Amino acid sequence: MMEVLEGGIQTTIQDFPGRQGLLDQGICPAGPFDNLGFRLANVLVGNEPGAAALEVAAGNFKATFNQDAVIAVTGANMEPKLDGEPIDLWRSHRVRPGQTLALGTVKGPGFRSYVAVSGAFDVPEYLGSKSTYVPGAIGGFEGRALKKGDQIPLGKPEESLDDLTGRTVKANVIPVYSSEWDLEAVPGPQTAPDYWTWDDYDHFFSHPWKLDRNSNRMGYRLEPHSWQWARKTGGVAGGHPSNILDNGYAVGAVNISGDQPIILCVDGPTLGGFVCAAGVAYGAMWKLGQMVPGRDTIRFKELSIDEAADLARATDALVSDASLERI
Amino acid sequence: MSQANGRANAALLAETPAQDGRPAAVFRSAGDRFLLVEFGPMELDLTLNFRVLGLNQALKDAEIPGVIETIPALRSILIHYDSTTLKPSELIAEVNRYYAELPPVENLTIPSREITLPMAVDDQWSRADIAKYVQFIRKDAPNIRNGNNIDYAAEYNGLRDADEFVDYVLATPWWNAANGFFPGLPFMFPLDPRYAVVIPKYNPTRPWTPEGAVGIAGPCLAIYPVPSPGGYQLIGRTIPIYDAQQRNPAFADNPILMKPGDRVSFTRTNDAELILLREEVYSGGYEYQIKDGTLKVGEYLARLEEIKPETEAFKRRQQEAAERTPVP
Repeated sequence: MMEVLEGGIQTTIQDFPGRQGLLDQGICPAGPFDNLGFRLANVLVGNEPGAAALEVAAGNFKATFNQDAVIAVTGANMEPKLDGEPIDLWRSHRVRPGQTLALGTVKGPGFRSYVAVSGAFDVPEYLGSKSTYVPGAIGGFEGRALKKGDQIPLGKPEESLDDLTGRTVKANVIPVYSSEWDLEAVPGPQTAPDYWTWDDYDHFFSHPWKLDRNSNRMGYRLEPHSWQWARKTGGVAGGHPSNILDNGYAVGAVNISGDQPIILCVDGPTLGGFVCAAGVAYGAMWKLGQMVPGRDTIRFKELSIDEAADLARATDALVSDASLERI
Repeated sequence: MSQANGRANAALLAETPAQDGRPAAVFRSAGDRFLLVEFGPMELDLTLNFRVLGLNQALKDAEIPGVIETIPALRSILIHYDSTTLKPSELIAEVNRYYAELPPVENLTIPSREITLPMAVDDQWSRADIAKYVQFIRKDAPNIRNGNNIDYAAEYNGLRDADEFVDYVLATPWWNAANGFFPGLPFMFPLDPRYAVVIPKYNPTRPWTPEGAVGIAGPCLAIYPVPSPGGYQLIGRTIPIYDAQQRNPAFADNPILMKPGDRVSFTRTNDAELILLREEVYSGGYEYQIKDGTLKVGEYLARLEEIKPETEAFKRRQQEAAERTPVP
């Protein structure tokens, strides 16, 4: 059991890859926003990479464990402490009954920390996943972010806690965060020359886009831009050229709603009537989870589908025991 | 591939020409894990959706290795696949194969329930939302007049006033072509094209929309299942169509009420009565008005031919009005 002392800004239980196969009913996958940091946290504590763990956004989370366990904290640096003593990120630590884990606020680049515990968090599945989808009030712990007093059951670890303790992610595997991000993306479906002009296209792939502070797991709003558009109107779909007859939205699509680009994230809409000019490469989706709204900038880097598939393989290959060492 | 100034459309992967009465299919990449397949021209044509739902079922039944799921919409299917194991060219070949095998649309009979929902028009919740939009997002939005979106909707469609616009919305059953955006949100289109209103979307979109809100944009009517952002013009509010806590027998098997192929009609109510009905839904006492049935596509298409002159007349009236009405 873990008892929450402070829920923080928004701490949720997630699993990976979240709710799959329900996009046609309008159910987004949810799941960890930074799936790389999340999966590495699980690997550190001997869990399946997709097992249920905590996503701590922006910080100020505090909880007490009332049983022996091994934990790992990855992702953004919130200066984690165990009973007041600083502990290393990207490393597995033994906790004893009664010990308290505290995360402060983010120091440096990055925005989300992940906390995995050996045996994982034991919450019921809802529609095939343990991921919390806050806007739909489903999954995770009672369909909501954690708050003071919540008691979260823990599963049983498969390996001995001693074996799991003191493992660390190799330095060359630890992702590098920045406040100026290169974000790999594949053009389409609605792009130049039939929806955008080539000037629109070139602007999109060269401009450093400021991430609006009004951004969250549903969508990342970028600054508005006066697009030229290849079409005069949206025809039957509506007066504005960004309007189309509603179609399915890819997870990670860069949606252009009027003047405003919005990246549709893991809690995002599944279908709609605005053009999507590009899609964030699957192997780069994790970066979104570490961007700081209102501060960071994004420069889109164009990839082909083949190149993006290689990136996906490379990202997934990091999630393995081979990425760990004992120091 | 399409060329302009020597540059190719990087997203346009393939095109299958129209053949044997089947509309053309266009394949576009949507990131590296999704493929968008569009059928026919970008028009409001429900026969395209009947084909889409038929092909979608065939693709589901085929269980193509590497395909994770399919997401049907009005005239398109978005296919979620694993591009590290299934090449886009192989997936396109599979889709073309099943598309060629699809029976003629006139022969389709689609399971279709008839659902009646009460709607409070120009309701207090929509008005509060619109007031907030004016205060925080856009002061000069042309789609907002007198604190509502309906006056604008009437003008954009060449209708006399808000009441005539609402009459049009109530006059036709609405065909649920797809669920999406948020959990169980139905994307519905008028089955009677004599009442096919069209309205542009918000610009910029609205960060909030009340649960149960009924909105229209383009030719499409949607009901918002959860509080969420949105871009549709707000017409009214109805009873819940999604309940994660499954508090009413209508949600016993699934928190989502609507299925693709459902036909929905609205009856007019007021705010006070809607409050009572919504309470009855959550206490479990309200019985949703749902009847089983089918839509015979051949018969439906014959009926469209009969009413074609009236359909065309409204379309002309609407287009003339749209040309002189500002867009958000």
